[in-house]
Amino acid sequence: MIIAEITGSLPAAAGCLAAAIGVGLVGAKAVESVGRNPDASAKILVQSILGMALAEAVAFYAIFLAK
Amino acid sequence: MRPLFFLSLLAPAFVLASEEGVNPKATDLFEIGGIPVSNTILTTWILTALIIIAIRVLVGTPKIVPRKGQALVENVASGLRDALEPIVGKKMIGKTFPVLCGFFVFILLMNWSGLLPGVGTIKYQSADGHWLDAIRPANSDLNTTLALSILSFLAWTYFVLRYAGFKALVFDLFGNKADKRELSMLMWLMLGFIFLGVGVIEVLSIASRLISLPFRLYGNVFGGENLIHTLGGIAPYVVPAIAGMLEVLVGLIQAFVFTLLSAVYIGLICNHDAGHDDEHAH
Repeated sequence: MIIAEITGSLPAAAGCLAAAIGVGLVGAKAVESVGRNPDASAKILVQSILGMALAEAVAFYAIFLAK
Repeated sequence: MRPLFFLSLLAPAFVLASEEGVNPKATDLFEIGGIPVSNTILTTWILTALIIIAIRVLVGTPKIVPRKGQALVENVASGLRDALEPIVGKKMIGKTFPVLCGFFVFILLMNWSGLLPGVGTIKYQSADGHWLDAIRPANSDLNTTLALSILSFLAWTYFVLRYAGFKALVFDLFGNKADKRELSMLMWLMLGFIFLGVGVIEVLSIASRLISLPFRLYGNVFGGENLIHTLGGIAPYVVPAIAGMLEVLVGLIQAFVFTLLSAVYIGLICNHDAGHDDEHAH
């Protein structure tokens, strides 16, 4: 019996999953840091966007390069 | 040669778009001297003209006491400058700011252009009966984002070679950054080999910026455009408007990320003594 069928690209899905977890970790830590030190929010914003961008790049490699 | 343009306002386009989604490839509208002009290029030209006219109207001749328009433009520029200054460094901000600010404004307006009524919804019918976009947001074409990334890369090369120098660049990539006085000679040489290997990885990661920068921008803008069109097919009028609000945010963040990353790449090589400057300043 087939309950559900998985279609699409599994490697791309795995890459996106990992990238999403990475972005979530960066965001969680950024929120925590702003909570501890609200004055540093501008600096933390820049650092966290950078970290998110680098983690997010993995998703694009996975989507466009996975066959 | 081309069939007549069919000007559909918002509602019919949602019905049309639901059947085919957004075409990942930009369509060629006409040719000038054998070079095809695609619908994304057309958007770029129209919006570039609009940006130039808007700045001329808002600022005109800059005055010491700004009028409303000049104050608006100055606010955006100085806000961006404050955000970028700690990254590229005090010495470099004056030289790099025109390029970075240009990237930000251009990409921001190109991202938001997809939300205007008509962009992506004015369609015409081709000879074989498909409905094609007459005009669509420029950053939903990989060619545009790749061109922007190549420009960013060329600017990086220029600023690094002009203001840090070739020697500093090679030392930053491959050089031995260990302190000779604290280590024995053998240890220092072995570390040199490790730094050499790290340099090779560093060069690879610099080259891969040309992949990650365009794909990030293209993926976000094209994905958003596709999302709005598909949602419009499922539940017209209300749901796409909510996705549109999300797209306003995504467009702003992606424009900022592109500018920020360009600034960071320049700052990584050119901004070595920033830490010392900060210590003296306080």
